[in-house]
Amino acid sequence: MTNWTRYAALTGAAALLSATAVTAGAETREEMMAAHRGGEIRLVAAAAGGTIDPQINYTLQYWQLFYFTYDGLVTFKRVEGAGAGGVVPDLAEAMPEVSADGLTYTFKLRQGLKFSDGSDVGVDDVVASFQRVFKVSGPTAGTFYNGIVGAEACIAAPADCTLDGGISADAASNTVTITLTAPDPEFLYKIAVPHASVLPAETLQEDAGVTPIPTTGPYMFESYNPNESLVMVRNPHFKEWSVDAQPDGFADSIVFDFGLSAEAQVTAVQNGQADWMFDQPPTDRLAEIGTQNADQVHVNTLTAFWYVPFNVNLAPFDDVRVRQAVNYAIDRDALVGIFGGPVLAQPVCTILPPAFPGHEDHCAYTQNPGTDWTAPDMDKALALVAESGTAGQKVTIVVDDTSVMRDVGTYLQSVLTDLGYDASVNSISGNIQFTYIQNTNNKVQMSVSQWYQDYPAASNFLNVLLGCASFHPGSDSSVNISGYCNEEIDARMQAAMQLATTDPDAANLEWAKIDQAMMAEAPIAPLFTPKHVDLVSKRLGNFLFSPQHQWLMSQAWVQ
Amino acid sequence: MLATVLARLMQMAFVMFGISVLVFLIFFATPGSDPAARIAGRNAAPETVEQIRHEFGFDRALPVQYGLMMKRLFITRDLTSFVNRGQKVIPQVLDAVPATLSLVAGAAVLWVLGSLFVGVVAAAMRDTVVDRGLMILSLIGISMPVFWLGEVMNLMSQSRFHDTWLFSWVPGLGYVPLSESLGGWFKALVIPWITLAVLYIGIYGRILRANLIEAYSEDYIRTARAKGLSPTRIMLRHALRTSLLPFVTMFGLDFGALVGGAALLTEVVFGLNGVGRLTFHALQNLDLPVILATVIYASFFVVAANALVDVLYAVIDPRVRK
Repeated sequence: MTNWTRYAALTGAAALLSATAVTAGAETREEMMAAHRGGEIRLVAAAAGGTIDPQINYTLQYWQLFYFTYDGLVTFKRVEGAGAGGVVPDLAEAMPEVSADGLTYTFKLRQGLKFSDGSDVGVDDVVASFQRVFKVSGPTAGTFYNGIVGAEACIAAPADCTLDGGISADAASNTVTITLTAPDPEFLYKIAVPHASVLPAETLQEDAGVTPIPTTGPYMFESYNPNESLVMVRNPHFKEWSVDAQPDGFADSIVFDFGLSAEAQVTAVQNGQADWMFDQPPTDRLAEIGTQNADQVHVNTLTAFWYVPFNVNLAPFDDVRVRQAVNYAIDRDALVGIFGGPVLAQPVCTILPPAFPGHEDHCAYTQNPGTDWTAPDMDKALALVAESGTAGQKVTIVVDDTSVMRDVGTYLQSVLTDLGYDASVNSISGNIQFTYIQNTNNKVQMSVSQWYQDYPAASNFLNVLLGCASFHPGSDSSVNISGYCNEEIDARMQAAMQLATTDPDAANLEWAKIDQAMMAEAPIAPLFTPKHVDLVSKRLGNFLFSPQHQWLMSQAWVQ
Repeated sequence: MLATVLARLMQMAFVMFGISVLVFLIFFATPGSDPAARIAGRNAAPETVEQIRHEFGFDRALPVQYGLMMKRLFITRDLTSFVNRGQKVIPQVLDAVPATLSLVAGAAVLWVLGSLFVGVVAAAMRDTVVDRGLMILSLIGISMPVFWLGEVMNLMSQSRFHDTWLFSWVPGLGYVPLSESLGGWFKALVIPWITLAVLYIGIYGRILRANLIEAYSEDYIRTARAKGLSPTRIMLRHALRTSLLPFVTMFGLDFGALVGGAALLTEVVFGLNGVGRLTFHALQNLDLPVILATVIYASFFVVAANALVDVLYAVIDPRVRK
């Protein structure tokens, strides 16, 4: 099977997709509702995604569900394509009033909203939900919400969290006021993600685990057994308040079954036993899917990248020339081939993915440096290695145990061998690789990892992955895997974030420069931007995809 | 009798204790196994990771952690998973038992009948084409890895020939509880049963044949022949009965191990949510509470099966009874 056949097959699929999108747009929403409402969507995945507490779960698998079950004060617009980056009012009536100094946000809550258990959504629930983020030690409590006044105390002693001075409610005017310690242009993004979902005030102040919490969206969780299935049914108290923020769903129920391998999931969807598979189809089935099920495949670009973090504090990568040499030597086209061909991935040289805020086409590590990557430059790479005098050193690449990542590791091993290093690959369980490579105690020289956006802002890549604040030596949670900390660039990033509050376009230009400045020091080697393959059943219609929410499940129909 | 039972129970407790300590120590000796950061989530602040570490008790001494975990597993019985937080492990294991038991019991019926047939026919028709053919088939059965055979079965029944008359009755992969539908349960399990049984038919058939042939050279068979008994009676009543002893021993051990989770590959390939698949996922996720629960459960079955085999011995072999 050549890459070319995959390409041809999947391009056909993409063309068909755009055709169906046009016909769907011709009907009005009411007509579509009348024609297609009802039925059950069956989803399938290899394994469950952990707790269904929206303030704790941090997996793509369940965020996709939380977007149509829970709501925050604001949310990302539910539309196809890049428009989804915009924030729209959700439980709030309108976008908040922000004070002149950018510190105070005042939200007016919509009237008449109800949770799925029938109780009213009030301002007290909003306040309690923000406190709960800290009380349950949510994963992003210390990284997204630490800018709220009183958050520091909450992080230190979660049990006594009040967020005093940070959040207050006024029941009479139905408003909630949030005060920050410093202006934050990304604050609305941060409260639009599921971790800031509004839950009933009486929700237990601990991880709900497998016990459903009442929802506000069109669906609610009926039952959850991580070994079998997660069942979502219509929320009887849901009344559509904004099509942009939380449109009503088409299917009457959505059942998520767990336990089939990716291979078996492909077959189940082909046989019509399931409507969608969560896991990515194995690369060896892509040609078959592309030819037999072309009209059931949707390929979409993700705002994400695969990259190689070099440990800048360990030999040989403590020498910038070695990091640059590897960047020059990597044949990104070969990696794209490993991932499934040009339809499924695109080579990248920048940290910010294409079409992401702040991205500017630029490639320093290629033959004829310019805007695009063209071919590896082995001569330059070998010269840099010779200069550094590090050839012959031992290098271990730590990858996880998925077949694609092992292949990427083996390829990188061959690159390092060509450069004169004594390279080996160490493949460990996918579930521990990500924390393992972060901990400096494990002395990982080089690894392969991926990063997906939480929200569309340049700092979500640059500052999170390579900022000084994300480097915690000796901790399993140190997402700056390279251990890279450049005070000067860090100061520029802080300035760019502040600039974004007043002039977002100028800030994005500055982010592009920061991206290039970082890549000059090459703490990482960006490899490619992956695309997402969604394989759906024949009967499934109105498939919409946005980079923020991925597939908008509630907007699809099965009858 | 009471002493034997007590000794057995002691033995079981000792084995289970040893295994749980071993699992516990291996877990904490694995590099990168510290669950705190994984539970906290990606890019969690160090303070959050510390909170989680404290909340789950990972900052306490290992013996204390072991004691607490055992207490939550056996006494308060509220031990919960590290990965699917809030999910209690004991109900999780108990929920998985019916699928495993259905799979293994059905396969056991197939393999006992199948291997009896293969062993007896091959021994009776020793050195003929039939014998050779059966032995070659058995060898092929033993040599096929169960996960490969399972995937090939799936490829044929779910994918390539799914729409033909041959396999159109096959339901999607997964377990259907017996309480839900007898027909569904049967249909969902037929192919996994055959897949799991093939290996054991091969092994047991070959061993039974060898034992039967050995028995035929014994004095008591010659005596039976001299008395003028029919060949069928000699085979089934005299030779087979003594030859079944090693058969029963092996059956007990294999059955116990399979119910304990060794049918893991079959369960994973066919998407059956049994104990094996539970163990598989727990190992993949380094979910210590579930690993401990499934391992202790498995060791219980292995020891229990051993005890049962001893009792069966007494039934079959009069020399053991005394």
